[in-house]
Amino acid sequence: MDSTRWEQIQTLFHDAADLPQPEQRAFLQTACGGDDGLMADVLALLAEDARGASLLDRDLAQVAHQMLGEANLPFKEFGPYRIKQRLGEGGMGVVYLAERDDLGSQVAIKILRDAWLSPARRERFASEQRMLAQLNHPSIARLYDADTLADGTPCIVMEYVEGVALTEYCSQHQCSIEERLRLFACVCEAVQYAHQHAVIHRDLKPSNILVKPDGTVRLLDFGIAKHMESLEVPVDQTMTGLRLMTPAYAAPEQIRGDRVGIHTDVYSLGVILYELLTGRRPFDLANLTPGEAETVIVQRDPEKPSLAARRMTGPQGAGTHVPSASKTSWADLDVLCLTAMHKDIQRRYRSVEALIRDIDHYLNGQPLEARPDSVRYRLGKFIRRNRRAVSAAALGFTVVVGLVVFFTVRLAKARNVALAEAARTQRIQRFMLNLFQGGDEAAGPSDSLRVVTLLDRGVQEARALDGAPAVQAELYQTLGGIYQKLGKFDQADSLLRSALDQRRKLFGPDNAEVAESLVALGLLRTDQAQYEEAERLVREGLEISRRKLPSTHPAVAKATFALGKVLEDRGTYDQAIQVLEQAVQLQSAPDAAASDLAASLSELANTHFYAGHYDISDSLNRRVLTMNRELHGERHPLVADTLINLGAIQFQLGHYRESERFNRQALDIVQSWYGKDHPETADTMTILGQSLTYQKRYDEATALLQQSLGILERFYGPVHPRVAYALNELGNVAIRQEKLDDAEAYFTRVISIYRSVYGDQHYLIGIAQSNLGGVYFERKEYVRAEQLFREALQTYARTLPPDHLSVGISRIRLGGALLGEQRYPEAEVESLAGYEILRKQTSPTVKWLQTARKDLAAEYDALHQPQKAAKFRAELAATEAKPPAVTSRK
Amino acid sequence: MPLRNTGMAHRFEPGGPGTTPEERRALDHLFSVTYEELRRLAWSVRRGDPSATLSPTALVNEAWLKLANSPELASTSRLHFKRIAARAMRQLLIEAARRRNALKRGGGGVFSEVTFDDSLEEAASCGEDLLALDTALEELARIHPRQAMMVESRFFGGLDIAETAALLDVSEATILRDWRAAKAWLAHELRRAR
Repeated sequence: MDSTRWEQIQTLFHDAADLPQPEQRAFLQTACGGDDGLMADVLALLAEDARGASLLDRDLAQVAHQMLGEANLPFKEFGPYRIKQRLGEGGMGVVYLAERDDLGSQVAIKILRDAWLSPARRERFASEQRMLAQLNHPSIARLYDADTLADGTPCIVMEYVEGVALTEYCSQHQCSIEERLRLFACVCEAVQYAHQHAVIHRDLKPSNILVKPDGTVRLLDFGIAKHMESLEVPVDQTMTGLRLMTPAYAAPEQIRGDRVGIHTDVYSLGVILYELLTGRRPFDLANLTPGEAETVIVQRDPEKPSLAARRMTGPQGAGTHVPSASKTSWADLDVLCLTAMHKDIQRRYRSVEALIRDIDHYLNGQPLEARPDSVRYRLGKFIRRNRRAVSAAALGFTVVVGLVVFFTVRLAKARNVALAEAARTQRIQRFMLNLFQGGDEAAGPSDSLRVVTLLDRGVQEARALDGAPAVQAELYQTLGGIYQKLGKFDQADSLLRSALDQRRKLFGPDNAEVAESLVALGLLRTDQAQYEEAERLVREGLEISRRKLPSTHPAVAKATFALGKVLEDRGTYDQAIQVLEQAVQLQSAPDAAASDLAASLSELANTHFYAGHYDISDSLNRRVLTMNRELHGERHPLVADTLINLGAIQFQLGHYRESERFNRQALDIVQSWYGKDHPETADTMTILGQSLTYQKRYDEATALLQQSLGILERFYGPVHPRVAYALNELGNVAIRQEKLDDAEAYFTRVISIYRSVYGDQHYLIGIAQSNLGGVYFERKEYVRAEQLFREALQTYARTLPPDHLSVGISRIRLGGALLGEQRYPEAEVESLAGYEILRKQTSPTVKWLQTARKDLAAEYDALHQPQKAAKFRAELAATEAKPPAVTSRK
Repeated sequence: MPLRNTGMAHRFEPGGPGTTPEERRALDHLFSVTYEELRRLAWSVRRGDPSATLSPTALVNEAWLKLANSPELASTSRLHFKRIAARAMRQLLIEAARRRNALKRGGGGVFSEVTFDDSLEEAASCGEDLLALDTALEELARIHPRQAMMVESRFFGGLDIAETAALLDVSEATILRDWRAAKAWLAHELRRAR
């Protein structure tokens, strides 16, 4: 039939249809003019029209029901298994209970219905199967077998878990809070295990967590789980994922279609915990449209679990069993639960492991690491900022001495851990909570309150605590630590000293808490560059600890570790190595924490690195890498850290390609952990940028550094030490490319950022001034260069000891500028002074020593002292001949 | 927004001639999303309440509510969405019918076959009708595309007369006339296919 014919048929059909039926045939006979076929077609249509009983007259709802509705499973046997009954439907398929005839054992068979409809669904099912095959954990339902039916329908045979949903189990058994938390911790461990295998569940909910009659838990349904590396997915897949998960337990970022990660599972666990504690979900989504529900999840803050539980025990919650706990316990449970399900990823537990740790803390009656949210956030923020400052400092330094940065960043991380342990008592937590919330718990902290103001207020309040001197001392100690992180060394100093004095008064001089104060004060002295005093204090503290505590006590190991770090910072590497080896030994005891051991080994590796023992550092770092992989899984930031350290060694050996390889691996991990747009990612990009710079791949390096700068500017705004750090690196590349105008602009901005952040009293300003001087030097504008080097030295004079490396470098540079101005006697003084400072502290092949030797040779030539000139030329030749030393230990 | 073909799309030709590849991809994508949503809704409705009918109109409305704020639908009107949803619904039901047919013919492979009960027989005949309708609609699309689109929108998407008229930009009277004729012709084709 063609269109014309169809038009003809329709016209006749409509004309005839309007006539009474008996007249239709006569009408058509005339109208069709002998075309019998035409007439037959029209008559057939008329007959159908009158009948009106075709598929199109049926209600589509019925049709749909028949097509999509539940049909009996047309099979009863599958291989050796006999299907017994339908258990239910998961996110992806239907699950049947089956029994193995020969063995009588029961299994669950999951069939992906409608697999044929969508390759995406098939792919998801296959990936669930692959992931399950990987996961071998007592609390994760095991995969036995996988196959396809004749029509291609995939199915998997799994462990059949006869049990009840976690929440139901708890209310049936009227479990106590502790019992609930222990079960929950088992769930967390299973999830953490999956995370270690780079698998994110994405659909955690009580119905996916069954408790067997023997009281063990099983995690089911990895139907929409994802591999971490594949998480950077286009929107459409994320959307599909969103569609599949269960809204009540979905994290806000899942709802928004943002990137999901381990933090997503942490959130869902938080919701489950909420339900376990209170007998209800944080949000009542029952009568909401999907859109409304999503708004609630993304925007509304949940009621505190303590309050929710109280309401459920009232008349509203009749029939629901809600576990009871003391008021103080509830305060911790609130923190635990709300930190896990915080809407802001940054303020959530960083990993399931961290959540487990705090559950353990709670169960052991210890204070939580997640201090009340606002405090944690605000402190965390400042510590982070401070860490940037530390790393920025280090990077400024790299322009001069190479790669100290990699290790300084790591150092700072270790300090953060120390700070996390600082708030040790619940009283301190509560004190801090009040402090940061202005006394009004509901109102939360006001953004206009600056943290320093709050801390100052905290000190006031602490001073008022005369009646409880031990707590007061504890507070001074904690607050002092925070000021130290903030770079406010004066306040830190006075508080830590007050803590020390008070503890001495309370407990006498020979006491473990006094020892703790001594060690803390010593570490502050390191930050203040008062190394001798630092060493004296830490040694004293260590001695007391050794006397007062059993040698296996963690505090002894900690103090030993601290001494190692002080010695390392002093640059007395041989001693530092000895001491750190002791710390390693103490922490190798079977009951010591493996993570402490890894930290000490890592520090030991750093010290060997500074000492130039690259081969030892390399093998230690490889050991740390293995440990961290075992402890945290392949794709953990600590693994990335170690990779960066390994890259630094290759860098130092001049193997820039290998260095790049390590750094790229690290970047890959960091990116998938934190996301593309995260300062940590920016950091790693900068480090990778350096290994590209030294391969003279300037354009790639610049692109990467610009990207890093962009992230940091978005995150911190244009005026921030972290931004300065990236600019400094860009300046470094620009100098190498001889783009001196660019370099000048970068360094000028660095100076102005540091000035507005730190005022005039910070050595970082000196480093930036020195770097800007370097630009003028390259332009042969020696007078301007001289001026900046002198400004830098003035800044250092206020902030650093006179034999600091940075002072040495700036004096060498100043010598070079004076040499350019042909002011030989003055030049000789500066070059020689700088040379002496560096010679004692660095490896003889360091670039600045070579520069000093060259300059000195030229200066002595001009001053007609050929013997001295010859001496430095000889040194120069000797050190240049050496390859960039793979030294073994001296 | 990154778009990815999900493999369903090759069956669906949402744009007419002159559609740019980008538009095509966007429509393919929209279709896939809608399709997934309908599927999910169909399953969840049935799971939730055994007596609930799978009314396509309700499903399409709910899918719209669910998807209305998503970036996929940013530039899509409700009517246009319904039109796409109708196509997705047709796809869904045809595929389901095809599968039932395959099951009936092919047996269960490693599963041993058991006797079908009556409800299955009934469903099978309904499925055959659907497959015949699909074929007939393709024929109709060849000779009168607008009518084919009208049938699809009305039958599979639950669009009412007014909506269909607005969608196809013709009068309601035209829709009524077309509907009657097309329905009669399709019924005849279905009968012939038996």
